[in-house]
Amino acid sequence: MTTTAPAPAAAPAQPAESVGSRIIRAILTQRIVLLIVLLLAVVATFFLMDVGGYLTGPYDSDYMAASLINLVPLVMLALAELLVIVSGRGGIDLSVGAIVSLTGMVFGLAYGEWGWSLWLSIILAIGVGGLLGAINGFLVAYLGFPALIATLATYYAYGSLAIVINNQKPISTKPIQDLYSTARTVELPLVGEYLPNIPLGIFTFMIPTAIVVWVILARTTYGRRLYAIGTHDTAAKFAAIDVKDTRMKAYVLAGIISGLVAVVTVAQFASARPDAGASGNGMALPAITIAVLGGVAITGGIGRVAGIILGGLLIVWLNAGIPLAIEGNNGPQYQLLALGVVLVFAALLNGLTNRKYGGSK
Amino acid sequence: MSAPTTLGPDLGAKPVKVRNRVLSPPVSGQELVLIGVIVVLWAILAFATPAFLTSGSILPLLAGVAPIAVMGIGMTVIIITGGIDVSIAGMLMVCAVITAKTMVGYEVSLPVIVLIAIGVGAALGAINGVLIAYGRVHAIIITFGTANVFQFLGLQIFGSSTVNNIPRTLSVFGAGPAGRTWGIPHGFAIMVVLAAIMWWYLRHTAGGRHFYAIGGDAHAARLAGVRVQRRTLLAYVITGAVVGLGACFTIALGTATVQQNIGSGRELAVIAAVVIGGTSIMGGRGSVLGTVLGALLVQTVSTGVTQLGWQSQLSNLFVGVFIVIAVGADLIRQRARRKV
Repeated sequence: MTTTAPAPAAAPAQPAESVGSRIIRAILTQRIVLLIVLLLAVVATFFLMDVGGYLTGPYDSDYMAASLINLVPLVMLALAELLVIVSGRGGIDLSVGAIVSLTGMVFGLAYGEWGWSLWLSIILAIGVGGLLGAINGFLVAYLGFPALIATLATYYAYGSLAIVINNQKPISTKPIQDLYSTARTVELPLVGEYLPNIPLGIFTFMIPTAIVVWVILARTTYGRRLYAIGTHDTAAKFAAIDVKDTRMKAYVLAGIISGLVAVVTVAQFASARPDAGASGNGMALPAITIAVLGGVAITGGIGRVAGIILGGLLIVWLNAGIPLAIEGNNGPQYQLLALGVVLVFAALLNGLTNRKYGGSK
Repeated sequence: MSAPTTLGPDLGAKPVKVRNRVLSPPVSGQELVLIGVIVVLWAILAFATPAFLTSGSILPLLAGVAPIAVMGIGMTVIIITGGIDVSIAGMLMVCAVITAKTMVGYEVSLPVIVLIAIGVGAALGAINGVLIAYGRVHAIIITFGTANVFQFLGLQIFGSSTVNNIPRTLSVFGAGPAGRTWGIPHGFAIMVVLAAIMWWYLRHTAGGRHFYAIGGDAHAARLAGVRVQRRTLLAYVITGAVVGLGACFTIALGTATVQQNIGSGRELAVIAAVVIGGTSIMGGRGSVLGTVLGALLVQTVSTGVTQLGWQSQLSNLFVGVFIVIAVGADLIRQRARRKV
């Protein structure tokens, strides 16, 4: 404020940007801003269509809150992909869906058949998920397999084991069916009467996972190392970072998160299904889509937790609105179209941003 | 890093094998190993189940290899350029449903229907190619996106039901007696011819070598005068076209009904065949011959698992293990080569 007068003289080569171009610049370079704008646009569009009577059902805050149940597995797996993709060198994990299937079956056996306690079964799920992730990590980090190939191979192997482990049969004994109660919606304390009820899984699984991943990435030495090896392998090695160990841990963490998603899915379906992570297009594709949409660079070293959550919200609320707006049972098909178009659009925008502004944050 | 070597007069004392050939040998080590593995597997299966080495089992196996291998020919080119295409399941579905609906609705001859399938495939491949080459975005992201869009297109054309009572126009590619000449399945023969043409094109023409140059270093290739974007686009169009042909084979091998899940999971099976065949996912290295052998191996495993009376889902476990072994062997050889 004090230097208003000399400022133009000091920087004559840079004329002050107009408000419009600054907004465009912010939208293009700040992925968070872009996602918020898109999110508002999607919600506003469906609200207006609701008011105008174009929707077959109400698109209100209750409906939006109930649809958040789909957010839990998506965001958690996208966080797993965030860790792996940020680790660089073509990092990607195609096997997360298969880990969900296999861990879900092991969890189902332990809790539903062998009569283990819930906590012990969850710890087992975490352990199995971590072990399966460690196999991925060992192949990629220590043996030097390209991540795409290693996780393609384990996608086949884990998926096959998940089907064979219980002779292709799902497990839905009494204790498993009772787990469905954890998938219910709850009223928030204090402010609950004014807000719609929110699915319990958001608080028990998704938010804790997001906070832990955020702390790991943004507040620990390990997180800085992960960004370092993702940005440049060799430079990180010269900075005395144990590249192999750091990269391996990213895959182990992704496996652990997938193990937790297995518990969520078993509870949501009230049944441990051998094809839980493989239904439809599989769980890996939407998770990678959300990660890319959330601004994670596929080349590694760039990506934030906030982007993942906003990207997940965008996809879930878009998906929730589409069946209301489209007559008949064409809804799921248009969800595919929306997912594809949004992903291609986000990727092309990333390319444009890179050329015009030298990268986004 | 070793100390800088001094160029002395005694350099010629140790005869060093000259490694300055531009072309790799016609059959690489990986391919020899694959041939060995396939021979061993066939021998084991022949001992384990007497039914394996009969024409009733081998001929369907060869016919069944054709769709994966023929699509693998295109995928090999893409992966050599350093790209990847995970949308071919969606492409296959669109090609199959358009082909099937055309056959049900109109009297069409065989060449016309095959041309329609190839044309549709090439058009879809061109969409991928334009976005990847000119949008300058990583191939895996774009093809994940277009995979969803193609799936949408396919389901829309399906009209949420199966296509029934498909005429037997395509039975010349099938596993039945109409699909063979002198005992050789037509689909397999066509695949071998196409693979041979592509093998020669990639190895012995300037245009073919350009794909390797792009995969090795796209920037260097551009400076050397390769039209990188056009070549990249061509790789995806080729793949689209062979996926169209693969769709014809897949319909012919099935029943008179095409279901919505046609093609599901095929993208990973094709990538598995290419990778087992020794093509490097990082680009710049690979051959069509390896891909054909890789597809043969995958098909042998799934046939073998079924004939041994095991759960058919177990075959995926073996496919996974074979990917790890094949790529692991390649990694070890690469390291040995770097030490030489």
